[in-house]
Amino acid sequence: MERNGLALEVLSAQEGFAFLESVGGIAAYRLVANGLNVLLMPQNTVPVVAFMITYHVGSRNEPTGLTGATHMLEHLMFKGTTRFHKAKGTSVFQVLQRVGAQVNATTWLDRTNYYALLPREHLSLAIEIEADRMRGALLLPEDVEAERTVILNEMDRSENDPLRNLYQAVWSVAFVAHPYRHPTIGWRSDVEHMTAEALRHFYDTFYWPNNATVSIIGDFEPEEALKLVRQHFEPIARSPHPIPPVWTQEPVQRGERRLVLRQAGELGIVMVAFKSPVGLDLDADALDVLAVILSHGRNSRLYRKLTDTGRTLSVTATNERHRDPALFYIVARLAPGVTHAEVEGILLEELAQVAAYGVSEEELVRAQTQLAALEAYGRDGPFAIAAQLNEAIAIGDWKLYATYLDRIACVTASDIQRVAQAYLTEAARTVGWYIPQTA
Amino acid sequence: MKHSFAERVVAVQLGNCRLYVLPLAVEQVVTLRGSFLAWPDVAAGDLLRQRLTVSMLDRGTAQRDRFELARLLEDRGAHVGFGSRGLRIEFTGRMLRRHVPDVLPLIAEQLRTPRFDPEEFEKVRRQLEAQLKQALEQTATRARVALSQRLYSPAHPNYGLDPREALTRLAELTLEDVKTYHATHFGANELTLVLVGQIQPEAVVPLVERFFADWALHAATPCFTAAAAPQPPGRELIYVPDRQNLDVCLGHAVPLRRQDPDYLPLYVGTYILGGNFSARLMATVRDERGLTYWIHAGLEGINTLHDGHFQIDVTLSRDQLEEGLKATLAEVRRFVAEGVTEAELAEKKDTLTGLFQTGLSTTGGLATALLINIERGFGPAYLDRYPEEIRALTRSQVNEAVARYLKPDMLHTVIAGSIRAPQDAVL
Repeated sequence: MERNGLALEVLSAQEGFAFLESVGGIAAYRLVANGLNVLLMPQNTVPVVAFMITYHVGSRNEPTGLTGATHMLEHLMFKGTTRFHKAKGTSVFQVLQRVGAQVNATTWLDRTNYYALLPREHLSLAIEIEADRMRGALLLPEDVEAERTVILNEMDRSENDPLRNLYQAVWSVAFVAHPYRHPTIGWRSDVEHMTAEALRHFYDTFYWPNNATVSIIGDFEPEEALKLVRQHFEPIARSPHPIPPVWTQEPVQRGERRLVLRQAGELGIVMVAFKSPVGLDLDADALDVLAVILSHGRNSRLYRKLTDTGRTLSVTATNERHRDPALFYIVARLAPGVTHAEVEGILLEELAQVAAYGVSEEELVRAQTQLAALEAYGRDGPFAIAAQLNEAIAIGDWKLYATYLDRIACVTASDIQRVAQAYLTEAARTVGWYIPQTA
Repeated sequence: MKHSFAERVVAVQLGNCRLYVLPLAVEQVVTLRGSFLAWPDVAAGDLLRQRLTVSMLDRGTAQRDRFELARLLEDRGAHVGFGSRGLRIEFTGRMLRRHVPDVLPLIAEQLRTPRFDPEEFEKVRRQLEAQLKQALEQTATRARVALSQRLYSPAHPNYGLDPREALTRLAELTLEDVKTYHATHFGANELTLVLVGQIQPEAVVPLVERFFADWALHAATPCFTAAAAPQPPGRELIYVPDRQNLDVCLGHAVPLRRQDPDYLPLYVGTYILGGNFSARLMATVRDERGLTYWIHAGLEGINTLHDGHFQIDVTLSRDQLEEGLKATLAEVRRFVAEGVTEAELAEKKDTLTGLFQTGLSTTGGLATALLINIERGFGPAYLDRYPEEIRALTRSQVNEAVARYLKPDMLHTVIAGSIRAPQDAVL
């Protein structure tokens, strides 16, 4: 198989690893000693490589009182280990940025990922660092204190944005039991009271090789990369306990929920959300296509009805795919002088039209083409690929990345009408209005 | 095998258009970046008029209305965008290789023969009005604009219009103003097209020849002030209600152009001070003191045509304002007094040359880097030279540039957020 100018060499036998499968240019392995999953996607277009480790832990795994722990731990992971530490001039940033790496980490509902995009010759450094801090993070109380105020400032920054606040309010009202109701950054009071002991416990619960997936994308030799992964990760034991599952399921919503958010500002926002299926469900594919038909481009339905007519500044439909049932939502930023009720009414009428009469073949094909092009653009360079692959891993199956376009191509117009009828219902709806307050 | 950019980039002059193609073995994707010089009359408020004119480009052409135009792009999954960037107007495109022959002519059509429908003009104006109203509530935007007004005269391209003032001016602009601007400022002046991706020059040249090569030059001439005109340094508070995070901008003018020999040493110096996570400001104000989530320092608004300034951005919660400012200024003063160390310089040289390499790992990154350096007059070969120039810098060059251009006593301070007076910050 030839992809991006590189013959894909699938190493079915590599000492220490079990070869699992190869799909869409990605080969999957498991480190036998401890269950670490490894994904390899070689590409030699440019001499850089992306190294990423995704832990299967996110704000979904946080109980009340410890909200924000995943995110805070992500920050603390940069404070150092005995080996890589700022006091020695060898912090993660010092070491990796020195060689020109783009380094960072992100936390979301279902996962935490740490990544470095770096010149190919420095791959071993990134592997060594991630292996070292998988079990070696110091998590010192003084570092927790210093980082607490950093995170509180991060929280203040995001709370400056009314859209972010409305988004969070809608999720918090749409979910009453499931932890998706918590903001990933945590509730302020939980962050204020978080202790080093609590973070240590969280770390010791989730940061193990059998709860992580390593991805390597770009210009590298697969055999050499696997050897490096084995060299650095194999000494780490698998977790001494099973990784605790999240068993809380959101009860069925039996009626519309509404909320109003007031904050000083200029222009209103309407957000209409519906409960959506788990990210791996085939219905999620149809909802992805529907989101494009509704709001992607000037010929999309809601653009024509709302933005082209001057009622909104923008309108965006999104199907968020997660490990557990999540939300399909539409966000409309109101033009000056336009009422929330008017925009909400038009928006809901358009959704009702889709449920009643479906979409045309022309709309379907255009949306599928747009998604195919977006996927191609989203695979421009190793880092972009890593970012997409990360979300598939988080949802629960990395192969979603490799098979996504095939799945989208299978969506029919009747699928779209069916999912509109099944999911975009009044009973499963949560509506949020951001009403600007004048000073 | 050709390795250098100078060897790999194919340059062709077609009429007034400079075409650059970099073939790359990526799957399907082709990225386009382009620009031309519009020469707005900056003091006369042309930057707002230019922004409004550019917003009309995707609202239909003489040949087709906005929906048909959009359909032609959407049916191909192609993305095209236009932007106003100071003295230049830029355009971007992302498409699959097989759609290049469809998309390039559309971009030419949009640039050269926009429709200027009166109804669409009103819509575009209302959209821009809404964007400006949104800007009123954005603390980072408000702080940046206020700093620019303290450093530049309204005739300088870096002078930002306050959103309220922009709203007033916007209300006065007419469709005729926009049409006139297009007629007098749109043309092939330094028109540059860069295409990067799975495409060969032979496939592009006939298209550019047919659709861009005969585009005439416009007659507008440079009309702006190139030097900064700073007010005396001082502190300014911009009250934005209900915003607990304060966006703070500190800055002073820097009389320097991109082509000056001092630029690179100063750039590296400011990068050591505040360019990344392991830079001094992040290491002290965030990591050690926990006073901020974000702090950054760098050179802003400098290009080959005009001067710019040195700017520090820091976000501070209200109860950390004074301490955060104090810690930031102390670090800047120490940095200027002591200069950089050999070890720091060596580290950041590696960082910057490595970052340059990773930044070129996408078609978009490559196309942007090529366009910027062609605009500067440095040419594609600069992508080969840049890492060498960084590596050749000495500690004394960097420290001399830092001492010559960075003046802590000249820093202006602008704070935007829910703060009316300094004592508000320590409630």
